[in-house]
Amino acid sequence: MTAYLLRRALIGVVTLFVITALLFALIRNIPGTPLTLSLGEADLGKKQSPEDLALLNKAYGLDKTWYEAYGDWLLGLARGDMGDSLRYRTPVSGLIRRHIGPTLLLSVSSFVITYVLSIPLGLYMTRNGGRLSERTLSVLFYMLYSLPVYVAAIWLLYYFYLRLQGTIWQLPPGMVSDNHAEMSPIGKILDIGKHLILPLLCYSYGVLAFDTRFIKSNMEEVIRQDYIRTARAKGLDDGTILWKHAFRNTLIPFVTLIGLTLPGLISGAVILEQIFNWPGIGSLFFEAVSFRDYTLIMGLALMFSAATLLGNLLADILYALVDPRITYK
Amino acid sequence: MTAVSDPNTNQAQAEATQTPQRRSYWGEVWLRYRRRPIAMMALAYVVLLALVGLFSPMIAGTKPIVAYYKGSYYFPFMSYYYDRWENPIFFRDKFRGEFPQNLKKKDPQSWAIWPLVFQDPNRRVRKEEWPGRDANPIGENGAPSRINLFGTTPNGLDVFAQLVHGCRLALLVGFVSMGIASAVGITFGALAGYFGGWVDILLSRLIELVMCLPSIVLILAVVSVIERPTVWHVMVIIGLTGWTGIARLTRGEFMKLRSLDYVSAARALGAGHTRIIFRHILPNSLAPVLVPITFGIASAILTENALRFLGIGPVGGASWGSLLNEGQRNLELWWLILFPGAAIFFTVMAYNLIGEGLQAATDPRLREGAK
Repeated sequence: MTAYLLRRALIGVVTLFVITALLFALIRNIPGTPLTLSLGEADLGKKQSPEDLALLNKAYGLDKTWYEAYGDWLLGLARGDMGDSLRYRTPVSGLIRRHIGPTLLLSVSSFVITYVLSIPLGLYMTRNGGRLSERTLSVLFYMLYSLPVYVAAIWLLYYFYLRLQGTIWQLPPGMVSDNHAEMSPIGKILDIGKHLILPLLCYSYGVLAFDTRFIKSNMEEVIRQDYIRTARAKGLDDGTILWKHAFRNTLIPFVTLIGLTLPGLISGAVILEQIFNWPGIGSLFFEAVSFRDYTLIMGLALMFSAATLLGNLLADILYALVDPRITYK
Repeated sequence: MTAVSDPNTNQAQAEATQTPQRRSYWGEVWLRYRRRPIAMMALAYVVLLALVGLFSPMIAGTKPIVAYYKGSYYFPFMSYYYDRWENPIFFRDKFRGEFPQNLKKKDPQSWAIWPLVFQDPNRRVRKEEWPGRDANPIGENGAPSRINLFGTTPNGLDVFAQLVHGCRLALLVGFVSMGIASAVGITFGALAGYFGGWVDILLSRLIELVMCLPSIVLILAVVSVIERPTVWHVMVIIGLTGWTGIARLTRGEFMKLRSLDYVSAARALGAGHTRIIFRHILPNSLAPVLVPITFGIASAILTENALRFLGIGPVGGASWGSLLNEGQRNLELWWLILFPGAAIFFTVMAYNLIGEGLQAATDPRLREGAK
């Protein structure tokens, strides 16, 4: 197991190097720098002199070749320094720290909700297999699964933000209201909760639909097996059979699935956060991308990739934990 | 005549009568696929979409399909596929893209066959461009009407025409990006599965590596740093990150098939690697590989439209995602988010359903269950 994990960790590190080097090379070999792009456009009044530009280029290391700059970046990283954002002029790590809270609030609550709901729903659908209620749910979940999140988000915004304008049911985008600072502590929580509803809904429905279908199809396989018939012949009630005998045996793929969704907790909402103006990592990445903020893009890409790798690794470990038959050599 | 005939001829006869009955592997997959009505409906939808995409300038456009002008026949609608295909005569005669009035004015003898809907995906139709018709409404007045079936954008472009021409883009994105992904995935998967050994180890590590790339993050990052991203850039990136599933399945199929008797037989007959790979194994391994390809088409369309929707991807050309983008900025114009959103939704769902149908049709476990 240890050897396997070490090998995986090694592959992971190599992957991180490849991804970051690739991005670095790409970013550096494309004409235009953020200095010519954003600064030039931002202050039309004061044109930058070539000397100023050269000075700025030097200050941000943009005058070096990409591999020199990449080496510098790696050295900085080894010291725990991801560099300064070109746009905000503050350390990247600080920016990430400031934006990770809202993202985690969104993703962790969605994570909890989807698993709390999908297990009973999946079991319910297994128990009522073939009945009208199950067919309806199946079709509904299939459609939800295929509904693109940005389409759903914008439809929901149209209804809850625009059509319900002026009523108390209106759900605005953003994370807090304008007068958030003046609210009481409970009011603040309620305010955030109200803003959380739509992004949470959009973040969760696809995963919920997928997980429920996943649980159901796994259960379908299990309940056809002989030991379930034996349990039924013993006179056990449906609930006990489903929960104690069948569901336990579907846990292995399910746990793997959980592991695989973990990286999405951080990177999964790039588009959603942008649509709902949610001040999280996704919005930050989107801004970095729009402003070609090299250091910020690199920092975030590193974080996303590391999260993906860790998630995969965790899935493997969980896999071995729930299934004693699996050993890694 | 004896009752017992020569056993050899008997067997030969039996084989002769049996052989035409036996279906090819592909035929069998198709037979099982055909039994699923929903999957067939999805396939019909995708075929319809492809036809709409291919013939989009004949369905919605402002250029005649056939025009008889100054004694010759022209096909001005072709310029919707590619700008240069517009006949220079219309440029010389200063048509400026407006055909109906100019044709009559410059050659009274002329006649033309028009597209079903006289609307343009790239510009606003002006007043009296079509005799007796007003200019396209703009802003809030652009709700769906008899002339503008799905409404107009704030700038007066017809939504229906854009949706119809957007099919072409969706088709292109799906097939080109998955074409790239399949080429890479099938090649790598086939090599890894067929040769095994260190080739397999090397390629498997590569697959693992690419699987760990967070593709949406990578696509966003790359698109943002390209000076003028075109749809081709996006398709290449989607293709180069989306081949891992295909490669893994191909690898598995090759590993399974290479040890079968008929492959050994081919080898014993002296067939080379290339011949065995392409003639004997590949055709029999492709059906299951279609499953990740179909799902891949859905996700490629999804991703490309997401980029357009976010407004950071390629610009220009009619696209469902661009319409959604405009809808987000003008939320009160509901027709801008309803119709393109539904188009993306149904298309993604159709490809998913096809993928699922194929999965059921090619999965050997399910096959035995059906018997």
